[in-house]
Amino acid sequence: MKLPPVLRLVVRNFASNLDPLTVVIRFGQPAVTIIVLGTMFSTIISSAVTGGSSYAAFLVPGMVAFQMITGGVVSGNLFWLDRRWSMVEQVFSGPFLRSEYLGGLVLTSLLFSLVGVGIMMVVGLPFTGLPGLTPEGAALVLLTVALGSIFFAGLLITLGTRLRSANAYFSIQSFLQLFVIFLSTVYYPVTSRTPRALALVFYANPLTYAANSIRDAFGGTLGISDLQGLGILALLATAAFLAAAWAFRSMDLGPIQ
Amino acid sequence: MPSAELVLETNDLGYAYRPGQFAIRHLSVGLRKGEVLGLLGRNGAGKTTTVRLLTTLLPPTEGTATVLGHDLRTGGRALRQHLGVVLQSESLDFVSVERNLTLYAFLWGVPREVAKGRAEEMLELFELGHARQRKPWALSGGERRRFQVARELMHDMSILFLDEPTVGLDAIARRRILRYLKDRARSGLSIVFTTHILHEADMLCDRIAVLHLGRAIALDTSEGLKAKYGGAREVLAVFAAPLPAELRAQLAGELVERGATLLAPSEELESAATRVAFRSAEAESLLPWLSQWAHARHLEVDRMSVEAASLESAFLGMIGEADDGSAESSPVPGRVEGALAPGGGGRLT
Repeated sequence: MKLPPVLRLVVRNFASNLDPLTVVIRFGQPAVTIIVLGTMFSTIISSAVTGGSSYAAFLVPGMVAFQMITGGVVSGNLFWLDRRWSMVEQVFSGPFLRSEYLGGLVLTSLLFSLVGVGIMMVVGLPFTGLPGLTPEGAALVLLTVALGSIFFAGLLITLGTRLRSANAYFSIQSFLQLFVIFLSTVYYPVTSRTPRALALVFYANPLTYAANSIRDAFGGTLGISDLQGLGILALLATAAFLAAAWAFRSMDLGPIQ
Repeated sequence: MPSAELVLETNDLGYAYRPGQFAIRHLSVGLRKGEVLGLLGRNGAGKTTTVRLLTTLLPPTEGTATVLGHDLRTGGRALRQHLGVVLQSESLDFVSVERNLTLYAFLWGVPREVAKGRAEEMLELFELGHARQRKPWALSGGERRRFQVARELMHDMSILFLDEPTVGLDAIARRRILRYLKDRARSGLSIVFTTHILHEADMLCDRIAVLHLGRAIALDTSEGLKAKYGGAREVLAVFAAPLPAELRAQLAGELVERGATLLAPSEELESAATRVAFRSAEAESLLPWLSQWAHARHLEVDRMSVEAASLESAFLGMIGEADDGSAESSPVPGRVEGALAPGGGGRLT
C-alpha cells in the first residue's frame, strides 16, 4: 500500500538526512546540560530563586521546551541541505506538491521535538521525580512543543528560502538559536530583580512562554497565563508557517553555495 | 519508430525572468510517443529553461502547453507523476548509492520488492555494482552522473527529461546508456534530451530542435538538418601520379571558378603532389566534373572522397545564420525581446 505523499517525504527525511551522530548530538546536548549544568548549579543556586525546586528540577522543563528549537533546527537544516544538494528541485519535479514537501518538513520537526520531549523527561526523572502532570498539563506540554516547533521550523525554512550561502544560513541559525535560548526563561526565571529592558525582551521570546507553561504543567499549577502563552505561540506558529508557505511559492530554485 | 500520438505539445511557450527579458520564447514543439527529441544550443540558449518549464519547475509566462493531456500550468502532480527528470545539477540523499535508489523508488511509491529488483538492474546497467555501499559524493564525476540517470529510472514514466545526462561519461558508458535509452524509446518512452555532444544527438534523437538566444531556430531530423544547414564539405582527390604544376594550376583555377575553396596540401607529406583537396557547397556535383576533367587529360584518379556532412557543421551553419539575422534585426544582441533571430519562432511540430 502506498503511503500518502507527506508521510513518504517524512520517512525519506528521517532515512536520508538524520545520521546517528546528528541524532545523538541533537538529543545528547540538552541531556548532558540537564545532568551537568543541573547538578552543578543545584549546588550553588538557592531553591528560593527557582521557586522552591532544585535548579536541576527547574532546568528540566526548560530543556523540554528547548526541544521545539531542536525540531525546528533539524527541519531547517534538512531543507537547507535538500536545497544545497538539489533535492528540493528533484522532489518538486516529482509527484509532490510544494505544500506536501513543507508539510513533510514540519511533521519531521514535530516528531523530532516530541521524541526529544520524551528523552528529556526520562533524563530529568532523577531530578524532578515523576512530574505531577494532569491530562490537561500533558496536552499543554505536547501542544506547546508542537507549536513552538512549527514556529521555529517555519522561521528557519523561510530563512533558508531566501539565503544562497551556507555560511550565512548556518551563522544566522546558530546566532538565532543562542539568542533565543539565552533570552528566555529556559535557564533562569524572570524575577523582580531582572532588569526591565531584559524582561521585556524575554517576554517577546516565544520560548519564554513555552518554558513557563511547561514548568507550570510539571508543577501542576496551570493558570490562565499558560493558556494565553499557548495562544501567543499558536499565533506565532501560524505566522511562521504562512511565511514559509509564501516563501516556497516564490522560491528561486537556482543553485546555492 | 515514434507513433503519431503527441504526448507533449507547446504553443508559443515562453518564460521571462523579468518583464521583457525572455529566457525562452515562442517555443512551439510537439513530442510523439516513443520519440527522442534532442535540444541543442549554445550555453545559455535556453535548453535547461525549456526542461524546467516542461517539468513545471518554472511557470510559463506566455503561451500554452499540454503534457500527456494535462495543461502545463494546472496539471501539477497529475502531470508530474508521469515524468522522469534528470536535472543538470546533481542531487543526492546522504545514504549509500543502493539506498539512494531504493529510497527514491519509495518516494515514487514503487513497491519494495519491485524497487529491490530494479535497483539491482540499474546497478548492473550503469556499472555501479562495485559502488553500491559508497556514498554518492564519494563517486567519480562520471559515476555520479550515471547514478543520477540510474536513480531516475527507478520509477515508471511516460516522458523522460534528460538535461545533459552524459557529461563526464567515458565513451563506453555513454554508448551503453544511449543504447539503453534508444531501447526504452522503442518500447514507447518519449525522451527529451539536451546535450552539447552533437554526435550523441545524431545517434539517439529522432528529431532535433536547435535553440538559439531563447528561440527554436530549427526542428528536423538529424539528416534533414545536415541537408539544410550542412554547408560546404571537403573533397579529396588522390591521383595515381604527382600532378604536373601546370595541370595543378589549371585545376585550381577551374575549381575556384566553380565556387570551391582550395585547401593547402600538407607539405610534410611526400604524397602531397598527388593530392588535391578543396571545400565546396556543391561537393557532390563537382565529383563527376572532376572525374571527367582527369579523364580528358589521361590522368588516373586513385580515389575521390567527400567528407560526410556532420551535425556539427550543420549546427555551426544554423547558429551562424541566426547570428547574422539577429545582428541585422537589433543593434544590441541578447535575450531581450526583439533582439532575436527573425522567423525563429515559427511553428515546429
